Amino acid sequence: MMAGDNDAGVTAAPQQNNPLARKLSKILETRLENDKELLEALKALSTFFTDNSLRTRRNLRSDIECKSLSINEEFAEAFGRVKEELDDVHADVQAMADCCRDMTSRLRATRTQTHELIAKTTKLQTETQRLEMRASVVDAFLERFQLKPEEVKALRGTRDGSLHDNFFDALRRVKQIHDDCKVLLRTKQQTAGLEIMEAMALHQEAAYERLYRWTQSECRVLNSDLPDINATLCQAMRALQDRPVLFTYSVEEFSTARRNAVVRGFIDALTRGGPGGVPRPIELHSHDPLRYVGDMLAWLHQAAASECEHMQSLLKLVTKEGVADVVRQALAHITEGICRPLKVRIEQVVVSEPGLVALYRLANLLKFYEHTMTPTLTADAPLLACLAEMHDLGRRLFFSGLGARAAKLTERVELPPADLGATAGVSRGLALLAEVLESRDSSVARLDARRRDDLAEVVARVVDPLVQACSVSASRLAAVDMAVYMANSLYLIYTTLSLYEFTDRRLEMLQAQVDAHVDTLVSEQASHVLARAELSHVYAHVRAHAPKQGALSVVAGMDAASVKAAVGRFDAYLASPDASALPQCGLLVSPRTRETVAARSVELVSLAYAQIYEAIGAPENGYGDVNAIMPRTPAQVTKLLS
Amino acid sequence: MAAGPYNYSYIFKYIIIGDMGVGKSCLLHQFTEKKFMADCPHTIGVEFGTRIIEVSGQKIKLQIWDTAGQERFRAVTRSYYRGAAGALMVYDITRRSTYNHLSSWLTDARNLTNPNTVIFLIGNKSDLDAQRDVTYEEAKQFADENGLLFIEASAKTGENVEEAFLETARKIYQNIQDGSLDLNAAESGVQHKPSTARGNALNSDQAPSKEGCSC
Repeated sequence: MMAGDNDAGVTAAPQQNNPLARKLSKILETRLENDKELLEALKALSTFFTDNSLRTRRNLRSDIECKSLSINEEFAEAFGRVKEELDDVHADVQAMADCCRDMTSRLRATRTQTHELIAKTTKLQTETQRLEMRASVVDAFLERFQLKPEEVKALRGTRDGSLHDNFFDALRRVKQIHDDCKVLLRTKQQTAGLEIMEAMALHQEAAYERLYRWTQSECRVLNSDLPDINATLCQAMRALQDRPVLFTYSVEEFSTARRNAVVRGFIDALTRGGPGGVPRPIELHSHDPLRYVGDMLAWLHQAAASECEHMQSLLKLVTKEGVADVVRQALAHITEGICRPLKVRIEQVVVSEPGLVALYRLANLLKFYEHTMTPTLTADAPLLACLAEMHDLGRRLFFSGLGARAAKLTERVELPPADLGATAGVSRGLALLAEVLESRDSSVARLDARRRDDLAEVVARVVDPLVQACSVSASRLAAVDMAVYMANSLYLIYTTLSLYEFTDRRLEMLQAQVDAHVDTLVSEQASHVLARAELSHVYAHVRAHAPKQGALSVVAGMDAASVKAAVGRFDAYLASPDASALPQCGLLVSPRTRETVAARSVELVSLAYAQIYEAIGAPENGYGDVNAIMPRTPAQVTKLLS
Repeated sequence: MAAGPYNYSYIFKYIIIGDMGVGKSCLLHQFTEKKFMADCPHTIGVEFGTRIIEVSGQKIKLQIWDTAGQERFRAVTRSYYRGAAGALMVYDITRRSTYNHLSSWLTDARNLTNPNTVIFLIGNKSDLDAQRDVTYEEAKQFADENGLLFIEASAKTGENVEEAFLETARKIYQNIQDGSLDLNAAESGVQHKPSTARGNALNSDQAPSKEGCSC
């Protein structure tokens, strides 16, 4: 400690260079109560150093050393025991180490032994995983390509022939699987694909067969007034559309059921009528041909509309093309049954000679319905053929009847009456024509080319014989009488026809004929006037005279005096022109024709006068002053007469 | 599927009558298509339209026969009255002559339909109020005197068109409920579909009656 302090003193600051002083100060600074070691030592010392004497002070050191020795001996003894213990422990540990070494080696041996097993296990595990994979793949495959037992059961149907609820789902699945197989065939799994396909095809065929039988029996009973077409049946029809033959058969089955229903309904409507006889049975009106036939056809029209809806609701789920055609075909079939009862009745009516007008209207009515029904049926539908046939029959009977009537009216040659008007036969013929044409206005057929032809024929069948009859009866008359008579008769025919459409060409022909007769009358009238004034021979000479024959005044009968006398007589005519009118002209029925005849004859007379005036006035004819012979100029004459 | 457009329990047959040009076809078109048909051609004979409506929770199919107003079709259209459950008699409020002819139409309707037929009077073209020629009160009185239902409607705007058709159906349905309309009769103008949608059941129900009438 001192040396340390000295060392410290050597290295300490140089100003405390006095070691003694430093030592002293150090001692002075020492605090004994703070030095625990010293305190402990002193405390231990005080336990045995009880007697502070010289001896004891002298023996203190040996005492302490003795004490130290004994303590060290105790230590040595204690450590000796510890060492023994430790030796034991060492032996134990050694044994444990041996044991461990043994175990390790055994473990190592075991590991080498189990290594193979583990490898095996791992292999097996991967194998298991692979197999599980395959199992799920196979499951998925089966799920996809095989039917579940309940589906097979659904397809098989129940014993009473009705369909299982899931039938259509199962059928759809069979179809799906069948389609999926096509994909399968493109892979390596062709055999499986083929086999599954075959199995599904079998299922499908059996299912379709069953479905068809079911549909057939369902359809067969749908023959009430309002068939109950349920959802299952609609689904069945949708499913069957994949099998065109079965589909067609099913539709036919349905059509047949409906056909019977329609026939029954028709007979009911004919014979039983509505509830409590209201509306009354159609046959109750069989005395009224139009109403009878009209009611039957209207009933038919309505029934066809309803049947069309039934068909549409049956086929509402069918998606393939041409459903509209199927419906039309079915309707043609459904309405076929009605043809016979309908035909029998219409024929009866048509043949019973209901009268020409009624026949004509019946024919038109049949035509109308033929037209109305056409859009809902196929072109070759028996009903349309039946209606066409009935229309044709009615039409033929009508025309032959019309021809016969017209012939009867005109077979006897009638003498024209005294007033030169139309004969009774002509009037009756025209009345007949008017009646028929009148009914045309109330007829319902559309105006097509055919009907126009019909009308032309109607007119021809009546008008031609009438005109002929008129000509025959007119043939015994004098020219003027004949012209007036013909003009009157033709005029009557003309006015009758002009009330109706599509008679333009016929009217034109009639007008031309009338005009021809008017021309005759005009010239007759004019020559009559000239003859009465005895101007006609003057006019004839004037017209026949050629300048090279010399002066006109030297021709016999054409001297100034006789010409003047004739002009004087003509003057009397000018005073009252009406007095010189032909009496027959007054008998013209048409005022306009009368006026035309009058006006045009006056024109002719004026023209003749002008020609005479010119001839007389010509200096080479040697009459001298024209005004002395003919005081009036042609202009004056024209003015007087107009 | 259950509520498809073809599922209904009844079919009611209607007929629309009235003078030419009063708008019968337009009313029908408005009702079935919900559209106004401008320059509608004259009806030739008869045409028909359908629509499904609902009355008291029942789906009813209306089969509506639209007749030609032209006189020359009278003979044809008369045949369509039979078996109508409802008759809509239409006049044009702007043309008095069409109103004046109502009694003749009514006579036809009464004579040719069954006594239970519901006749509904419709004054069409109510949108042309400025050109009105027949007052509401006058027509209403006519309807009351003759026991007709009456409404003024416009096929152009669609006003009251639905109401007229539906009200007629409601009245017919009421008649069925009362029992005054016999459903079993073939030509009552109403056909009922049994709601038990099983063909077999239907068959067994129908079998006896079928034998009864197959004569």
